[in-house]
Amino acid sequence: MNMTTRKKYDFTRPDTRELRDRITHGVFLREGNLVAFPLCFPGASTPLPPDESQVTALSVAPSHMVYGGTSGRAAHVFVGMFHGVTGCVLALGEIRGATAIPAVCCTPRGWVAACNGPAGGRLVRGAYVPMPFDLIQEWEFTQVRFEDLGTAAEGEPVVHAVAEPGGGVLAATSHHLVRYRSEPPTGVETLAEVVGSRLSPALDGSVYGLCDARSLWRWDAASGRLDKRAVALPADAEVEAGLRWAVDPFRRRLYLTDQKGDLFILEPAHGVRGPVARTPLAPVTSLAATLDGRVYGTCGEGMEHFFRYTPGTDRIDDIGMAVSVLERRRYGYQYADAAMGRDGQLFFGENDTLGHLWIYFPRIEPSNSLI
Amino acid sequence: MNLQSEWFPFSGHPLSDSCWSLSAGPDGRIYAAACCESQPGETVKLVRYNETRHALDYLFDLDVKAGDPRDSGRATQCKIHYSFAPSRHDGILFMATHLSGPPIDLPAYSPWYFWHDPERCFKGAALLAYDTKRDSVVWTDTLYPKEGCRCLLHDEDRGLLYSLSYPRDHLFVFDIARRRSRDLGRIGSINAQALFLDRRHRVWTTSDYGHLVRYDPDRDRVEVSPDVLPHNPVFQTGWHSVFYDVAPSPEGDCVYASTWIAQPHLIRIWPDEGVWGRVEDLGPATQERDPHRPVCTFLDHCGGLTFAGDGKLYYVASRWNAPDLHQEHDPFDLAAQNPRGIIWQLEPETCARREVGELVRPDYYAHYVPRGAVDHNGDLFFAHVGRPPVGIFRVPMPAECRRPDAPLPLRMWG
Repeated sequence: MNMTTRKKYDFTRPDTRELRDRITHGVFLREGNLVAFPLCFPGASTPLPPDESQVTALSVAPSHMVYGGTSGRAAHVFVGMFHGVTGCVLALGEIRGATAIPAVCCTPRGWVAACNGPAGGRLVRGAYVPMPFDLIQEWEFTQVRFEDLGTAAEGEPVVHAVAEPGGGVLAATSHHLVRYRSEPPTGVETLAEVVGSRLSPALDGSVYGLCDARSLWRWDAASGRLDKRAVALPADAEVEAGLRWAVDPFRRRLYLTDQKGDLFILEPAHGVRGPVARTPLAPVTSLAATLDGRVYGTCGEGMEHFFRYTPGTDRIDDIGMAVSVLERRRYGYQYADAAMGRDGQLFFGENDTLGHLWIYFPRIEPSNSLI
Repeated sequence: MNLQSEWFPFSGHPLSDSCWSLSAGPDGRIYAAACCESQPGETVKLVRYNETRHALDYLFDLDVKAGDPRDSGRATQCKIHYSFAPSRHDGILFMATHLSGPPIDLPAYSPWYFWHDPERCFKGAALLAYDTKRDSVVWTDTLYPKEGCRCLLHDEDRGLLYSLSYPRDHLFVFDIARRRSRDLGRIGSINAQALFLDRRHRVWTTSDYGHLVRYDPDRDRVEVSPDVLPHNPVFQTGWHSVFYDVAPSPEGDCVYASTWIAQPHLIRIWPDEGVWGRVEDLGPATQERDPHRPVCTFLDHCGGLTFAGDGKLYYVASRWNAPDLHQEHDPFDLAAQNPRGIIWQLEPETCARREVGELVRPDYYAHYVPRGAVDHNGDLFFAHVGRPPVGIFRVPMPAECRRPDAPLPLRMWG
């Protein structure tokens, strides 16, 4: 629009009120509900220090508790619990020497955090926290001991890590793929040289990562085999190391994004196809699927927006900016990770000073089949 | 004491609907911002009280000096919001602009809604260095893109300007010599409305939950105090008890503050005592009321904190009539509540308070006062927000309350 042709707004217009309301409220979350939960047990503990609480990693345990890691001046591991008479985020402790946690992995036997610091990357593990007693009445918590599993690859930061189906953890450093197994206890073993990228487990026992600009590698946990260039990427995909993944348990597929915000589908039998849709802003900073196969994520710079992908229509909708008016009144601007909870609610890690654990309850879609 | 006020409307900017900034400049004269945030395509004008003519001088339009025309289609350079900061050694008055004024062809502006819109998004907080000796703008810059400046502070010894950005509520430091901004991190979601500086060059403000927040440049870290600032224990939790206005004591050893929430509290803080300073609750600044219903923050308000030449603190707090719910009334009509702006005097030795006057605006209610200042003649001035055109109040002080250097030491923040 030519700026010189703009006319002064006429407040007698009948739609003025509606337009004002749309401008004021319309950019914020337009479906579902978001709750910003502080990184504490409200009323019983204080949140982590603001500059140590950027939530950069999330993973949901078999118990449905959500484990997370923070980054900043120091790095902490925490667990959020919201079922039964709970409702708290319990700080498990600071990981000494670490300033970033790019991944937390929930394995059958406990959690493993991938940590970075001035000395490089390493893996640290701890046991799961049992359900506490009634957090309305009285409580006690088990103090979790941290076990340092060692350096991931000498001097290299960990880019990402995931739990592999066999019970171990697969981690990508800046140049290597490494694995930790507790049964048998192998320590951290180097598997291969790879380009460090974010990883995703699939539902068939494999793990995927970025091989190069044109392909993905595939790790088969059962055979211990790494297939480089196992899956070709579409020609117009611009996938980088920071790509986001989501596992759709309903359709048994993976989603991945590229730096333009294009969304692709990876089905082990058919490879990668797409883009099926593009996010409203780029880059994509978090991605997770819910139980019915809808995919939610965050995208943008400075002020990120939430979006929803609906598989049936191959459509992405911008569902607005994050705001919480329950528990804590807060705007949400930046996110780094997402994970699905027990009932299809989604956890989002706020990658910001005084980061909160955000819980998103998606809108329940009307279903004619239920009527 | 019965202080009388004189009303000076911004007749040179008839659409002006708010005066958020009013300060004594480095020259001891009174500067004010004639802001216009409800009208599309307008701008803020810098105003100075002319003590010879007993009138207002309109110095310049901010959009012109900032090179960001009011009819650009973007959010406008509509206001200066608690962002005058003097520089005594060279006579500069720094000022930074804030957002909210709608683009010329829209009825409203939201920085969240238009953040990703290159045609509509606010260009950024303009920073101006105004030479009060030569009456000229020496240089301009941008503090940060897309965001407005909620409040500004000058650490003159170190040549640094601190500010809070809106809407993302980040604390920034601007190196004046290098003209470089650095983001010190996010505070929360609610901007505090003031920053203050202590003798150790530490910058203080507040968090969403009423905790003191302090940036220590020697540690290069923003820290949060464990304690919650004083608040009403019946219906408040500390949430939103952020600084509204903060005035330094003449001795420089403590500050007096009011909070930005309905039923604000007056607070005195001694920042050099203990790890987190000593905080004194001086009690609510406004009247008791029914705690079951929230009251509008534009009605229940306290601001304009300033020391006069007599060494006493003056401020303006609102007072109103509780509406009779059994009588038919328009909740948006202030007539039934008849809000008034009461001038209070606080004696620092005893913290005793007394009413010493009332602001009178001939054509409207005078209850909302954001800032106050004393000029080099010893008279008090108060900014006002209300029906256009707004303006400022001058409150001539009795001879025994004046002194020629009354603004000293200068308040270094807006």
